[in-house]
Amino acid sequence: MNKKLLLVLLPLASIALTGCGEKKYAEHLEDYVRTMTYHDKFNILQLTDIHWNNNTSTMASKRYLEKTLAEADRHIKETQGPNAKIDLIELTGDQFMLANAYHIGAFIEFFEAKAVQYGFQYASIWGNHDRHGIYNPNYLADEFRKAEHSIYVEEEDDLYGRSNFVINLTADGTKNSATKWQLANLDSGASFSESAAAPFRDYDYIRPDQTEWWIQEHNAVGKATPAIAYYHIPQDENLTAWNDIHKNGAAYKHKFFKLEGFGDNGNPQYASDFLDRAVDEGHNLKGAFMGHAHNVDWTVEYQGVVLGLGVKTGPELYYAHIDPADQDPNTQEGLASVGINEKFDLIGASLVTLVNEGGTFELEHLYLNERASGDFVRWVKW
Amino acid sequence: MKKFFDKENFVLSSFDPKARRQSLVLSLLLIFFFAIAAFTFFNMLYCFADVVGSIVSGSPDVAILDFLRSLPVFLTFFMTLWGLLLLHAFFRNVSEERRIHSLKKDATTILSFAGLNIVYILSRTVSGAYLSLVEGSPSALYPLDALLYSLLFVAIGVLALVYAKKWQDKLPYVVPSRGPIVKRARFVYCLFVTFWMLFALYGFGAFWIGLFIIDFLHGYLFFSIALLLVFLVNFLFLAVWEFYFNELKEEKRKEFLLPLSLVGLGCSAVTAVIYFIALGNNLDGPSNVGFGVLPVAFAASVNIATLLLVATPVIVSIVALVKGLLARKALKAAE
Repeated sequence: MNKKLLLVLLPLASIALTGCGEKKYAEHLEDYVRTMTYHDKFNILQLTDIHWNNNTSTMASKRYLEKTLAEADRHIKETQGPNAKIDLIELTGDQFMLANAYHIGAFIEFFEAKAVQYGFQYASIWGNHDRHGIYNPNYLADEFRKAEHSIYVEEEDDLYGRSNFVINLTADGTKNSATKWQLANLDSGASFSESAAAPFRDYDYIRPDQTEWWIQEHNAVGKATPAIAYYHIPQDENLTAWNDIHKNGAAYKHKFFKLEGFGDNGNPQYASDFLDRAVDEGHNLKGAFMGHAHNVDWTVEYQGVVLGLGVKTGPELYYAHIDPADQDPNTQEGLASVGINEKFDLIGASLVTLVNEGGTFELEHLYLNERASGDFVRWVKW
Repeated sequence: MKKFFDKENFVLSSFDPKARRQSLVLSLLLIFFFAIAAFTFFNMLYCFADVVGSIVSGSPDVAILDFLRSLPVFLTFFMTLWGLLLLHAFFRNVSEERRIHSLKKDATTILSFAGLNIVYILSRTVSGAYLSLVEGSPSALYPLDALLYSLLFVAIGVLALVYAKKWQDKLPYVVPSRGPIVKRARFVYCLFVTFWMLFALYGFGAFWIGLFIIDFLHGYLFFSIALLLVFLVNFLFLAVWEFYFNELKEEKRKEFLLPLSLVGLGCSAVTAVIYFIALGNNLDGPSNVGFGVLPVAFAASVNIATLLLVATPVIVSIVALVKGLLARKALKAAE
């Protein structure tokens, strides 16, 4: 081969193989920022683990989602007044699993129609299963990026993961006014092998560069600004808090159900530094909400941060059937905490209401089950 | 090298142009059915992986509901697979009687699957279990598309039966190129070939789908290429077996098996090494760029399915190597 040609091709090949030459995230932090207009009683509805897949009846699932949105809208209007509404929907991962391009199109078409009907915007975060479909991941990203009412940012640079972005809630909805609250959206990844020969894969975790990125984004608006983080896979602190309470007798405020493991990485070697740094460095992180483990919506106040799994949305893949006759101590503990004494399924949604600029927020879990005899609907306050 | 492609080594060399055309048509039909079988297999695997996911997550009730909803997807794959088997059995059997028998048997199986699918879809629609004939998922037209596909296979099954009846005394097709399977090894042989074929179908589907869905842009290029290579090798081996090895004359098959198996072993070993090097350097690669083509692997968050894909061509090559050594020994003994 011609030597000159080799000189040109070799660096190109090395760039292609190593990914060198990427932008540095720290050089364009402003590209990760979206804004919305803040007002007191700003309502964020979290839908998680919807799991549209090849086996899903999209018609039936849309009916369930419509009921959930209608109930959330009704509840907000009833408790906050006729002008109140769902302001933002946080889709915290696993919107899809074993799906294809048809599912993506139908899903976004549905949310676009509902966004117009109810007046919300929606932000989408990657879950581990969103990668597992017959579509290029870039196609999914592009579709969320293009949709009119969708807030989605994915930058091509050296930051790990895809959907890392912040939504700054500002006085006038632009970057020109002060941020009252910050919503951090992080891609907690999917899974990785510890070695090439490992038979099993570990769940991913929020990587140190993602923590550093958020720290910088939060510093940019002032670290006293109250913030809430949304991501998919729980990190190590959920289990630490659970063990502190149940093994060491810690008196943290906690509520709702934990009927399986959190599905976190579990290996101390891969413990995320996200919450540690947020707390240790004095960032005003008020809450962190996630999904992933469908049989868990357990929420705890740990190190001054409310950590909780959202209620799984819809009946795809798996979910817990709660039965008061079940003597499992975790079921009984959950039932006692929510004050429900009848059978129901652990599916629905979670609502966060930002009460004021001072960092106060309210959290409610909605359990909504479709039943032939009349739907089961319960709201439970944190 | 030249001797491997000498025209005289192939069965077709001793037949007339008409017979060669017949063989070409059957080969093309086989390729067509293999392709659609691969894609329907992939579709079915997606449904299957989700059902298994529900079971291992402790929700067998969801698994049953999902399986019942997606049964037409499973039946669609099986009727397509039987179409492929029908063609293969017809193409690769020297016994005329056996070919007619296979044709009738496979056509009846196809009709059973297709008939069941039609009745099932219509009954679920009428009973309201499907909210509509175009309820949606896996496609916008599901289950209507499965219904129409089944009707097509009813036509294929009927045509095959009519053909078998019309020509049962004397088949017009005259160029079978492979002997019957010996009776004592039939079960083991069929089992082995079935598994091999399923992996090849997976490899074919994953390779073509992978070309479109693997994300080559996020720094995992080497891993992505290695993954595609694994898929490619899985179906190329079957393609070589069907369209090269089975086309050889009996004595040439015995002679060429050993060198072919050595080439296969070399290729599969190199592929395995490349894959493991790529994976070692991209441990989070599979989930970030390629898990869409590894539905079984991800469902349990394990690597085993990928490891099986890497191992299958190696195993196939070793089996061929053993058979090649035995054939070589037999040839020497005959001399």
